[in-house]
Amino acid sequence: MYPVIRLVNRNLTISINPAFLLWQIIFPVIYIFIAGFAYSSLIQEVPFGIKGLAYPAFLASGMIGFNIMNSTLVSGIIIWNDRKYGMFEQIMSGPFTRTNYILSNICTIGIIGLVSAGLIAVIGYPVFFESIDFNFLTIPMIVFAAITGSVLFGSIASIIATKLRSSEGFNVILNTAFLFFAFVSTAFYPAEGAPEPLRTAFYLNPLTYLVDVIRAGIFGDFGLFVFVEMGILTTIATVLFIIATKLLTKLDF
Amino acid sequence: MFCIEVENLTKNYGSVTAVDDISLTVKSGLVFGFLGPNGAGKSTTIKLLTTLIQPSKGSLSILGIDATQDPLKVRHKIGVVLQQPSYEPTLTVEKSLEKYGMMWNVPKPERKKRMEKLLQDFDLVEIRRKRNEDLSIGQRRRVQVAREFMHDMDLLFLDEPTVGLDPSARRKLLDYLKNKVSTGLTIFFTTHILTEAEYLCDEIAIINKGKIIAIDTPEALKNRFGKEKTIKIHLLKKQQVVKSLLSEIKDCKVEFNTGTNITIHSQQSELVLMRILRILNENGIDVDDLSAVPTNLEEIFLKMVEENVSSN
Repeated sequence: MYPVIRLVNRNLTISINPAFLLWQIIFPVIYIFIAGFAYSSLIQEVPFGIKGLAYPAFLASGMIGFNIMNSTLVSGIIIWNDRKYGMFEQIMSGPFTRTNYILSNICTIGIIGLVSAGLIAVIGYPVFFESIDFNFLTIPMIVFAAITGSVLFGSIASIIATKLRSSEGFNVILNTAFLFFAFVSTAFYPAEGAPEPLRTAFYLNPLTYLVDVIRAGIFGDFGLFVFVEMGILTTIATVLFIIATKLLTKLDF
Repeated sequence: MFCIEVENLTKNYGSVTAVDDISLTVKSGLVFGFLGPNGAGKSTTIKLLTTLIQPSKGSLSILGIDATQDPLKVRHKIGVVLQQPSYEPTLTVEKSLEKYGMMWNVPKPERKKRMEKLLQDFDLVEIRRKRNEDLSIGQRRRVQVAREFMHDMDLLFLDEPTVGLDPSARRKLLDYLKNKVSTGLTIFFTTHILTEAEYLCDEIAIINKGKIIAIDTPEALKNRFGKEKTIKIHLLKKQQVVKSLLSEIKDCKVEFNTGTNITIHSQQSELVLMRILRILNENGIDVDDLSAVPTNLEEIFLKMVEENVSSN
């Protein structure tokens, strides 16, 4: 077995526990089926390209992106825990290189992101069943979004984990950053109709691009801007991944 | 054959020299003890030898491999138990061992077999399903050391492995290590507990302020530095005259501790002892207790470090 696969195996074992899985399922279910239907009395239809989407369908598709982001917190937690509990040093004194360690983290969050996206797609399927527009780009775009989003948000979490030693600091910064990403985005509500400064803020947030790409894949609306968003996502993910890798490489003992 | 060959090894952190031009060789199949006070450079040396950090200067050969050129090849052949605890908090004891074996690519059936054996050998059977975060410091340390034996290795680095262990667990571990050495394993061992080094090590190096100040077998170190013996006398009652009487004796250093307790250091302890007894007897001074303390490694260690500090 290759070193990276062995480390991925180990990462998945330490990060996936019943509480994590339950959280990954229950949280989106509550959002999709309770908030989604409760808010539909206020928001009957959300304009999306040339279509109009029912709010639960809009929210369920946004939850796929949200859950990808949420699950990549794991990456930061793995690195932070490994440093705190001495496993980073222990692994580095074993038959592994730093590149192995970094790649294993990326693979881990990629897997968790993909599974998470698939899970929410299955859970959310009943609510966007009518609006879904399956075509040859649907699955590739969701997979693209899951992988790019995982790398992007996983890199952010990794950067925070390499920079902070105290658990309070780590939790506060990570939660604040991810709170901003979650709520200043189009995951829960559309950009159209929002006040101008907020609309601009939405597009300073990579989660907006992520959910836009996922929605485009599910609802079959492929405007030019979606491809621009894919390019932006790829660029940000690449830059952040390089920074996270450099910081991890420079971590001393 | 030498397992470790180090020449002029130096590690600088900015203007601070943590390891200062050390050279040493370690023969295969023995326990090499590495002693030194806190901050002497023991852990930095271990990090250099285990390729965790790169030296600023010097050459480093581990198991015949140039460790600066091919650190990964070295790491495939060594085991490391670092001074700081290392564990995955949410894993159980048995899962920790099993996963560690998997990380070292040990085949599954072999992993299972080794895990069961180590759970027995390290008295971990009762806590096998406990999570690491729920263990005591000593239990966690036992798991950490046991875990390292899940994989094969030619050379094992142990950085103060007995910290947190009770005397019985400590002795069991030392005996376990002795047994492993008899099967061909080489161990590089650091400790603060000098009786452990005396019990376990075939050869010892003493490091202070980044420099090695002595390397030899425990016995040779004792012979080289431990000729001086300590005579302790407890008088029945305080007598002023004793001070002037004993200060006349040559070839010894007399310390009057409380008036009734006298400590005498001498390299010719037998001769000095006879003289003291004669003087005390002639002057009618009653002795309550008398003992000649054999030199142990701890005294040698303290003396050497003290001498090294004062010579600097």
